[in-house]
Amino acid sequence: MKLTALKRLLIAGLFALGLTVMATANPALAGHWQLDTTQSTALDGWNKMDLTIGLDGSKVSVDYRMQWRATVHEATNVFDTDTPVALDEFFRVEQRHMAVYPAKHGVTKAVAKWIDGDKTLLTEALTPVEVSQGDVMMRITTEYRVSETGDRLTVIELHSSRNRPLVYVFNKVTGEDAK
Amino acid sequence: MNLIKRYITLAAMVAMLGTTTVFAAEQPESGKNYGVDAWFIHFDLDWNVNGGLPEKALLVSLQGLANRNAPQLYIVHPPEFQWEITGPLFDFYQRKHGVKFHELQSADAALTQFKDVAKGYVVWDKNVGASLNVAFTIAGVEDVVVVSEELIPLVEQHGLKQFDDLRGRYTGKTDAEIYQDAYNKYWDRCAKDRVMLMGGNHGAVRMPGMADWGVEQKMFFHDLSANLNNPAHQAELALTRRIFSELEPGGYVFGWHSYGKDTEEQYTTLLSMYGLRMEGLHNLPNLSFNNQFTFTPGFKFTNNHSMPLDAKLMAEEKVYISFVQSDSIGIGVWTKPGRGKLPFGWQVTMNWTEFSPAALEYFHESATPNDYFIGGLSGPGYMYPNSIPADRFPILMKRARELMALLDEHIMEIMDNTAADGNVGNTDLTKETVDAYYREFPDVIGFINGYGPARTRDLRDTRPMISYEYYIDPRRPRDQVAADLNELIALNSKRPYYLLVHVRESNDVNSLVEITKQLEGPIEIVPIDRFLKLAASKKTYTTRYQDPEDPKHFEGFPKE
Repeated sequence: MKLTALKRLLIAGLFALGLTVMATANPALAGHWQLDTTQSTALDGWNKMDLTIGLDGSKVSVDYRMQWRATVHEATNVFDTDTPVALDEFFRVEQRHMAVYPAKHGVTKAVAKWIDGDKTLLTEALTPVEVSQGDVMMRITTEYRVSETGDRLTVIELHSSRNRPLVYVFNKVTGEDAK
Repeated sequence: MNLIKRYITLAAMVAMLGTTTVFAAEQPESGKNYGVDAWFIHFDLDWNVNGGLPEKALLVSLQGLANRNAPQLYIVHPPEFQWEITGPLFDFYQRKHGVKFHELQSADAALTQFKDVAKGYVVWDKNVGASLNVAFTIAGVEDVVVVSEELIPLVEQHGLKQFDDLRGRYTGKTDAEIYQDAYNKYWDRCAKDRVMLMGGNHGAVRMPGMADWGVEQKMFFHDLSANLNNPAHQAELALTRRIFSELEPGGYVFGWHSYGKDTEEQYTTLLSMYGLRMEGLHNLPNLSFNNQFTFTPGFKFTNNHSMPLDAKLMAEEKVYISFVQSDSIGIGVWTKPGRGKLPFGWQVTMNWTEFSPAALEYFHESATPNDYFIGGLSGPGYMYPNSIPADRFPILMKRARELMALLDEHIMEIMDNTAADGNVGNTDLTKETVDAYYREFPDVIGFINGYGPARTRDLRDTRPMISYEYYIDPRRPRDQVAADLNELIALNSKRPYYLLVHVRESNDVNSLVEITKQLEGPIEIVPIDRFLKLAASKKTYTTRYQDPEDPKHFEGFPKE
């Protein structure tokens, strides 16, 4: 079959569109989200949690802003839905009253993909943690689900070491809310 | 009566007197101040500056003066007050010390009873918070009571004359300026082995429940800041350091830091740098009364050891859990439901042997077989060992050893939040600090470290040092506490696993019992002495000290 210039252009356009759709499968995930503590699993040792999620091609960045009294801690995890990543400073929402710490010089391997008709982001991180018996691996599987109306984000986090998932519910912060 | 009869009668009288003397000597009711007449008054929970505070400030200053020479005035707080034991101790004084209490219904009645102990009154300015502390200092050194302006008619009805009036004197001045003025006028006449940090609640509510003790002991009152991070507080910090440097070595800082100015961590770090000891809180009541009693005759502390001190145990393939409460037993879980259902370690404020012996005796008397007492916190008082000068450490710890021997305590609990952030963050000990504890406490069963979780661990000969693996926040839902503990058990998969849990005050034991029912694995809940013996028998934990590369929330104060 010979491809005409028009057909080539059409195929190239569809391919480009497909890539775009794959990379930003759910643009509603992007934005600033604020934890609704009344709907969420209780934080331990933190008072507040904000997420800012950015989508850039296959890259998904999750910025954390955690607060305990006057102490503010900010961290970012960057995933890639096309390829596994290795993170030197992976941030885990700690239950801070547990003696579980990021392992010194530990490298976290993480993968990400869009699932459920590209509506939900799924990440899986293998992160080394330090406990009293030494360094051990924790697998953290996380789903980021945006509501149909786009104003609520539910983050479900399951640890290989914990039978009960941690469920964090966020409300979208719009420009008006932020003022 | 002939001579022989007279002789027999005289001999019989002598014999009777002798018998009486012997009998009296054997009476348990012969302790200091046994059978004394004393008065008491009930306080409510209103500590508002524009509500119940002024009258309470008047009464605690009067209490400090009334109790100077004898236990005369005792305050009973509601059970909801942070120090829950004033009621039980009230009963204890009657039962064990024969105190004959008489109730006072009002401040007016208290003044009627005790007006003669005061030489006058000083007026504090309700618009200037620091003026109340200055007034307490004046009360101690000049033997006067403190009043706000609306109480002037009341004290004058009882014939008291005005000694000083602070209204308007400090308007517009900073706290640093106010306390500097007080320092210039009164510091020379104040006690030099102790100072009263009357902070705590700040603003519309203040709770100077410990002021009686400061007045009785002629202490300098202040709530100067130790906040190195606040540029506006640097003059206060400088004066704090000057006062600390002029206190006698090993002196006491009574009270508590101001919630509105700095943090517990900052203050305790600073006083530890001077080798001083914190003894709190700001609302700890009745020390001027409690201080007047000794232990009842014949009383001896005997701890509930779960095994002989020289027992050798071997850990099995289990998860061993032990619970410890360290927020000073008087404000803790002691009076909460369920005590005795689980083995529990209780950190005793050792200095109460000196200031509140009856309280310590009460705790020991009411202990169940599951209650075990341990020494702390870090030494003979609350202090952060990483910050204690090396030349002061052995002197302080010698005192701690003596007190632990008196209290039959064989475990030392250590806490150092110099680099922490509240109950989270870096709570570890440097290797030098760990070395020092092993050197100073050769005969203990072991050491506990932390408040929140920590990761300082060691084992030398038979003495383990184990840090808390978990801190139970009383506000955390119980199902999440169980999930957290189960996660720790899963992550620490070698057996035996030693899971040491710190129970924050205001938890109750019944809820802990429910948590333990949700735990998964070969669990055994053991008393803390047994826990440490087991931890010494088979080491499955790493040896670790504070790593200089670990994040620190606070880098400490510059040395002078």
